[in-house]
Amino acid sequence: MSPELQIALQNAINGLLLGGTYALVAVGFSLVWGVLNVVNLAHGSLVMLGAYVTYWLYTRYRLDPFASLPLTGLALFGFGYPLQRLVINQVIRASFLITFLLTFGLDLLVTNLALAAWTADVRAVTTPYSGRSLALGPLALPLVRAIALLVALAGAALLQLLLTRTRLGSAIRATASDLEAARLMGIPVARVYALTFAIAAATAGVAGGLISLSFPIFPAMGAGYTLIAFVVCVLGGLGSVPGAFLGGLLLGLLQTYAAAWLGPNFDNIVAFSVLVLVLVVRPAGLLGRTERFRG
Amino acid sequence: MTAALSGTARRRLALALALAVAVGLPALTNTYYVRLATGILMFAALACGWNLVGGYAGYPDFGAAAFLGIGAYTTGVLMARAAVPFPLALLAGAFLAVVAAVLMGAVLLRLRGHYFAIATLGFMLVLQQLAANLELTGGGSGMNLPVARSFTTFYYWMLGVCALAAAAGLFLPRLRVGYAIAAIRENQAAAEALGIAPLPYKIIAYSGSAFVFGLVGGVYAYWFTFIDPPTVFNVDFAIQAIVMTLFGGPATALGPVAGAIVLKSLDTVLTTVSIFLHNVFFGALVCLLVIFAPRGLADLRRARGGILAALRAALRENRI
Repeated sequence: MSPELQIALQNAINGLLLGGTYALVAVGFSLVWGVLNVVNLAHGSLVMLGAYVTYWLYTRYRLDPFASLPLTGLALFGFGYPLQRLVINQVIRASFLITFLLTFGLDLLVTNLALAAWTADVRAVTTPYSGRSLALGPLALPLVRAIALLVALAGAALLQLLLTRTRLGSAIRATASDLEAARLMGIPVARVYALTFAIAAATAGVAGGLISLSFPIFPAMGAGYTLIAFVVCVLGGLGSVPGAFLGGLLLGLLQTYAAAWLGPNFDNIVAFSVLVLVLVVRPAGLLGRTERFRG
Repeated sequence: MTAALSGTARRRLALALALAVAVGLPALTNTYYVRLATGILMFAALACGWNLVGGYAGYPDFGAAAFLGIGAYTTGVLMARAAVPFPLALLAGAFLAVVAAVLMGAVLLRLRGHYFAIATLGFMLVLQQLAANLELTGGGSGMNLPVARSFTTFYYWMLGVCALAAAAGLFLPRLRVGYAIAAIRENQAAAEALGIAPLPYKIIAYSGSAFVFGLVGGVYAYWFTFIDPPTVFNVDFAIQAIVMTLFGGPATALGPVAGAIVLKSLDTVLTTVSIFLHNVFFGALVCLLVIFAPRGLADLRRARGGILAALRAALRENRI
């Protein structure tokens, strides 16, 4: 294998592994946006909280980060439900500027309370198996990130099953497509909204847990992930789990190759150039269904 | 005597008085308060500038700091590397901000809602990363500007920019352009049916806002004498401007100024108490504001049945 090919393939592996994490960050964001019509700017702070829950469970109680993921998800579910029911629900029918500002304010609150509670110190979850990688011929497959990709895939698959095969899923999809009709059919829409948000918070928490294994943890880490979730949604099309997943993988690949070719300091430029290009040239997203956002 | 004056005349008198006090302020107090007042005027100017595109045109620009950064860096580069005098460098920065607004606006203003907001934010982040990677701008370590002799001059520069921005908001609704922009905000399809091509008007509003942000950026750079990418290309400038505009009343001429005065003063007091607390407070304030007064505090005052009833009505209005 020529060195060029080896580097290109290794970048593909790294990009897909990065993309898996992006995908899991984005599915919950996409769900909330698609169902509640809320662009949740506090989504990244939920990812941050998930990372901290995993970190504390590992350092305080020696719970393996992968084994504690269900607990992390549950904790964020418990945080997300009242957050939607009591706070976000108060502005749910207002213009997008209002919901945008509310979630920005929530993000500011959560981030700064985390800063006050846990300081700005950068932390990391380092397990005995953290540095290990599997050899695939001349290529390396980092163990932790490979498992993270599998977990992300499993999480997304579970979410897709929930949305398509359960009564709750039918209620969520019905509420998303027509709020008033769903209400007339006897669906408790306020509870459906809160459950949807809580499920999204749980996926964000699990994504944060996975991120804590490979990336630094600090209170302000969330903002970057919120923006990534947005770009992924635009790439993959709104409100579909497979779309968000493919969009995530695509963005992971794009950023990894861009870093290899242009240098590591151009990731935002690449991501947002792609974002603006897709918004302008292909309004429905690269993979998504039609949605009107031109004005 | 005031009772004999009509409402308009009384408002003009109050405005003239406020302006006279503003002009005379540096002679009345010490440098600490002049500095605080300069900061308040800066945010008042930003809020008025943001109001042009976000309030009057209804296109909430979350990346408005892009133009503040362009103004700051143009002024900085011209002054530090080419020894251009400040007023000239300032104008060049504002001009470049307008050029950028016209070029980017032609693309971004075709989007709407969330997409417009995030795309503008993305545009700002791209510029931030560019500034951090270019040699001309000093990269991530930022750049220094020459130090000015008197800091009171910055008070007058900010006052001038603020007055210009407020005047733009005051006169826009009376101009033909203003009617077109309002029509686009209220109903773009209907405006198009009346023969108004929306894009050029939206670009005018966007450029006006960019001009103000570019001017503020230039003054800010010379005032602080040091700029780096994350401080000038900072999403907070847009968010603060939005919250102040919303607080005082969007699409009104002096609402943003009132919002800036109230919120910036409050913020100054809280910052002296605790730097953490002031961010937590700002977050909580944003949440409470949008939940209880989504159309601004002025709107609450006009409501019938007292403040409490108005708060309850606002709460009922947007939930399910």
